[in-house]
Amino acid sequence: MNALTVENLCVKINNHHLIENITFSVEEGSIVAIIGPNGAGKTTLIKAILGLIPYAPGAVLLFGRPLKHGNSHVKVGYVPQRLEFDRTFPLTVSELLGFTVPPVYSFPFLRGKDEKRHIGELLKVVGAQDLAERKVGNLSGGELQRVMIAKALVNDPGLLFLDEPASGVDIEGQERFYDLVKRLKKEKGLTIILISHDLNVVYRFADNVLCLNRRLVCSGRPEEALTDDVIKSVYGEMMGAYIHSCHEHD
Amino acid sequence: MNTITDFLSYPFIQRAFIASLMAGVLCPFVGNFVVLRRMSFFSDAISHSAFAGIAIGAVLGVDLSVSSIAVALLISLLIAFLSEKTTLSHDTIIGIAFSGAIASGMLIIGMLKGYRADLFTFLFGDILAITNTDLLLLLIVSVLSISTLMFFSKPFLQITFNRDLARVEGINVRFFEYLLFLIIATVVTVSLKIVGIILVTSLLIVPAASAKNLASSMKNLFGLSCLFGLVSGVAGLALSIYLNTSSGPTIVLVSIAIFFLTLFRRSGS
Repeated sequence: MNALTVENLCVKINNHHLIENITFSVEEGSIVAIIGPNGAGKTTLIKAILGLIPYAPGAVLLFGRPLKHGNSHVKVGYVPQRLEFDRTFPLTVSELLGFTVPPVYSFPFLRGKDEKRHIGELLKVVGAQDLAERKVGNLSGGELQRVMIAKALVNDPGLLFLDEPASGVDIEGQERFYDLVKRLKKEKGLTIILISHDLNVVYRFADNVLCLNRRLVCSGRPEEALTDDVIKSVYGEMMGAYIHSCHEHD
Repeated sequence: MNTITDFLSYPFIQRAFIASLMAGVLCPFVGNFVVLRRMSFFSDAISHSAFAGIAIGAVLGVDLSVSSIAVALLISLLIAFLSEKTTLSHDTIIGIAFSGAIASGMLIIGMLKGYRADLFTFLFGDILAITNTDLLLLLIVSVLSISTLMFFSKPFLQITFNRDLARVEGINVRFFEYLLFLIIATVVTVSLKIVGIILVTSLLIVPAASAKNLASSMKNLFGLSCLFGLVSGVAGLALSIYLNTSSGPTIVLVSIAIFFLTLFRRSGS
């Protein structure tokens, strides 16, 4: 079954197309990487799928049905590219995760030990159990990404969207992060859609790739879809040579 | 010389202390959302739009509390609506509503004949003039606002943290934003009589900002802000009686003194 089906999706602002006529599907339980140069519409595509920005025309189906906020049949997890929040917000990691733990509507004094246990388990999954009482604003880039993954996993999502999840994280942190993504796919059967600029990551971790430049340039298994011609047409000559070396090393 | 205990035997002083206790908890509790969402200008605009409500109430001969709440709620909804439907920035819309409300209030008050002392109670506040009806109104608003904010604390805080994440997690962001605007507008308006239109925003933001200087968690933030609100209210009122100064400004200055203490404490830690 397809976890995600996107048909003829267009996003326009003031009659200017940000993305145009995108059609693709994502198989359940796979990792799909979206690549493309800056301004190609990668984040716009994810935001449109998630209903954060309007699209017309087009259709988006999650596990065969449209996404409805507040009444979703499929829980969706999302880790944005740059998490914009007030770093002086005196919020602990436990409290942040607690926002999403059901019941969402209840008095604080009625929330029991189950909530604490659930948060503890989630932090353990992403290897961040020691961060529970830390302030969110004081976390490093890598720590924050792991916490945001834990937050995205709170409601046991079927589909996880990661928008450049490892940007601003050091090499070692990136390695740990993508190992975690791979483990989540294996252990939880998650379908993961991630945006990445790092083509090395795409070759190593993604089952399929979507190459975007306002339109869908190519799609398929990375080693088949990312031909030299495709890469050169999207990124230019220099990048073509780099990809070739990535591919050989892999 | 009269002691505080002697003063406490007067019913109007008792009412003033009860009001300072209730507002001391209510205003900082709501004020935490104002500070975290950087909405101080919004609460200022709402208090000034209450001025137009008071003027309309005076012309129509209706209760000034009722007319001020009604107009403040309308203006808050207008700000929320225009912020959503136009591309103008939030502070531009608030600035337009703010000046529009003040200009309307001044125009209408200019049409009134004679001196109206009750209008000045709203403008500069007079906690000693609080009536039993004002106390009842303050109690009802406190219970409803605090219980609503507590019951929906997760969605309210989630939206405050990041709106996009809140929407993806299924929260009706639009509904909760309108609800928060209405709560802030109501709390600002019922607190007007304590310190007046000009200073009422300080009751919301100063204890919350002081608590933010020290808090290590949200639980901590809410606890400390209410504590600072209570201490400023009660100590400020007691001090104003002792020094024979205006109560509203004394309460505000005590809370600002607490703010600087917490600021130094933070800098020192």
